[in-house]
Amino acid sequence: MTDMGDGAARPEAVRTYGLVKRFGAQMAVAGVDLAVPKGSFAGLVGPNGAGKTTTLSMITGLLRPDAGVATVGGVDVWRDPVKVKSRVGVLPEGLRLFERLSGRELLIYNGRLRGLPRDEVARRAEELLTVMDLAGSADKLVVDYSTGMRKKIGLAAALLHNPEVLFLDEPFEGVDPVSANTLIEVLRRYTASGSTVVFSSHVMELVDRLCDWVSVMSGGHIVAQGPTPQVRGGLTLNEAFLRLVGAREDTGGEGLSWLGSSPV
Amino acid sequence: MAWLFAGLKLRLVAGNLRGGGLTRIAGFVVTVLAALVVGGGGLAVLSLLRLAPADVAAGAGVLVFTLVAVVWVVGPLMAFGVDDTLDPSRLALFPLTARQMAVGMFAASATGPWPFATLLLLTGAVIGVARGPGGVLIGVVAAVLQFALCVVASRAVTTALSRLLRTRRGRDLLAVGVLLLILAPQIPNLLLQRGAGDAPREMLARLAGTLRWTPPGMAAHAMADGGLVAFAELAVVALVVVVLGAVWIATLRRVMVTADASTQVGSVRRSRFDALLPGGVIGAVAAKELKYLRREPRGRLGWMTAVAVPVITMFSLANSGAPLPGLLAALIPAGAAALMIGLQGANAFGLDGRALWMNAVVHASERDLRTDLAGRHLAVSVAAAPLLLIISVAGALAGGDASSAVPALLGSAGLLGTALGVSAVISVVLPYTFPERINSFTSAAPGQGGVALAGAVAALLATSVLAVPVTLPAFLGATWVTLLAVPYGLLVAAGGRRLAAMIGYPRLPELMAAVSRPT
Repeated sequence: MTDMGDGAARPEAVRTYGLVKRFGAQMAVAGVDLAVPKGSFAGLVGPNGAGKTTTLSMITGLLRPDAGVATVGGVDVWRDPVKVKSRVGVLPEGLRLFERLSGRELLIYNGRLRGLPRDEVARRAEELLTVMDLAGSADKLVVDYSTGMRKKIGLAAALLHNPEVLFLDEPFEGVDPVSANTLIEVLRRYTASGSTVVFSSHVMELVDRLCDWVSVMSGGHIVAQGPTPQVRGGLTLNEAFLRLVGAREDTGGEGLSWLGSSPV
Repeated sequence: MAWLFAGLKLRLVAGNLRGGGLTRIAGFVVTVLAALVVGGGGLAVLSLLRLAPADVAAGAGVLVFTLVAVVWVVGPLMAFGVDDTLDPSRLALFPLTARQMAVGMFAASATGPWPFATLLLLTGAVIGVARGPGGVLIGVVAAVLQFALCVVASRAVTTALSRLLRTRRGRDLLAVGVLLLILAPQIPNLLLQRGAGDAPREMLARLAGTLRWTPPGMAAHAMADGGLVAFAELAVVALVVVVLGAVWIATLRRVMVTADASTQVGSVRRSRFDALLPGGVIGAVAAKELKYLRREPRGRLGWMTAVAVPVITMFSLANSGAPLPGLLAALIPAGAAALMIGLQGANAFGLDGRALWMNAVVHASERDLRTDLAGRHLAVSVAAAPLLLIISVAGALAGGDASSAVPALLGSAGLLGTALGVSAVISVVLPYTFPERINSFTSAAPGQGGVALAGAVAALLATSVLAVPVTLPAFLGATWVTLLAVPYGLLVAAGGRRLAAMIGYPRLPELMAAVSRPT
């Protein structure tokens, strides 16, 4: 692991120590030491199956680690869930929401579940719906929402209790450019106030553009992390990434000779 | 193609077991054992019919064949996920003709513990019902045709409905349709009761006389008859199988190319009722549950059953010739409703499914989970109270003693509390995934059918045992005991929540995984 951060200068919002998760014989996460400084817009990148989702699930208390420690704001997630759970917001992978509630009802449910007073929840929900450009669909059932709308209502639900750290798993996957822009605007505003965003993605261009901190995962390990320019090291993030995860330079030539149109 | 699909089904079963924990394997063992008991028992009992007079054997055969066919059609629609058959829409991208697919799906449907049990049972029928060497020969053909009939009819109905179920309105329609299907098996029951004064043998003869004209009845009759009529009957049954098969192929062809889900979207009204619920987490969960009760067809099905069962019970009691004392006439249907409602909660987190994380990222202590469960119980109670009241009053009036409505209401409320308490515990011990859409043919995710069955049985047994202190004295005539039923029910419910939270909170991640398996 190459830790090349000025991480020591800023307090850490998220830190894990030797996080491990096995699924049967498969080692999904093999000792991850993730570090994200407070206030950063951090990207967690890696190829499919690198263990990004598993890592985020373990940090957010949704999946029990087999070994290791995950801390948010210095508090152990699995030892002291009361402190941690009220301080984090989560948008897990997929679009797993309460399908039979309307967008507004989903937000209100979420806020009240977190113990916020009724009036405050209603006020915040309205504002979030407006900002997310969902006011017109607020009374439609989530089951009828499009992918972009679902990501937006999911993000709104994650933001409602004003968490210190926000974990987003593939928030831009399948989202149209207009909705993506809205999501980015909201997230930028959020981090500008000193809150932290950690999001996973495999769209390098997006991470390159948005993030001031990058952690690169491959094969269940962190292979590099630090401020984006440092990890990039003069290349584009995509080139640096391909080099880090050890993608094969040349895939043409051998095999697949039948592929493509050719004279029979 | 047939072997390929049968092999695929077996591999799916094996694959589900391989990845699974102990509960899933236990669940599978329960399923296999249940199938063996039904199949083996059927084989034994039906074989014994050989000792009975020919007409009795024939009548019983007709009855059993009809029942088996009904179970095959209704079972996959509503029962405990006994059939993990393939969903045709998943195979739509393969270059298969509808005919190839039908052959394959037929093979897949005919593979598994329950089809095996059916075959055992039919073998018993050949032994017990068929007479003479010619009869046995015809009997074998009749049994094979009956089996084919069961499989094809079951597939045709589920496939046809799977298309209907793509739309929200279709799903709502099904809820009503299933209610009729639930009522249908009660018809012979009611017919039997109509003739309650007759000797059982005459009753059987009369019933069999009617049912023998249905296709499964014909198959059984052919088996028993063994003469020329038998050939005609077998021809009819074969024709029915072919026609049903053709209908099925036609439906399959259409299902494979019909678009998913309608895009017609309506809005929901904002609820004023929420304001009446208590604040905090309890109120939030209760409000959400009450909305789900109205909007989620999978949940609504259970409630419709909960209405249908007491209505049938009441009808049966009123027709039974020997009227029950007033209290029981009211308590039995109301208690049945309470039991049905309470036991639906035996997989409380199932309907949340993949969305359960939203609760899990908030719950940070046992107490939170307990409050969550309390919210669910509150919602169920709010919805159940008027229902139990109506059923208690109706039952009391039907029994001719209006005053027994009060103890019936109290008793059934106590029973509801007991069932809720038990269900809370079962929910965290044996959780399973409800399929996202009821177009698949099971009520649990692949490989979890056994868990669902075990959960339902365990909940029913535990509730029955725990309810004894209230129900037994009431049945023995000690009406005043129902006064204690409500506090007793509340106590059991609270205890159940406490125990469930104790077991469930540390297992929250595992619980979430169990209710959000891919379906």
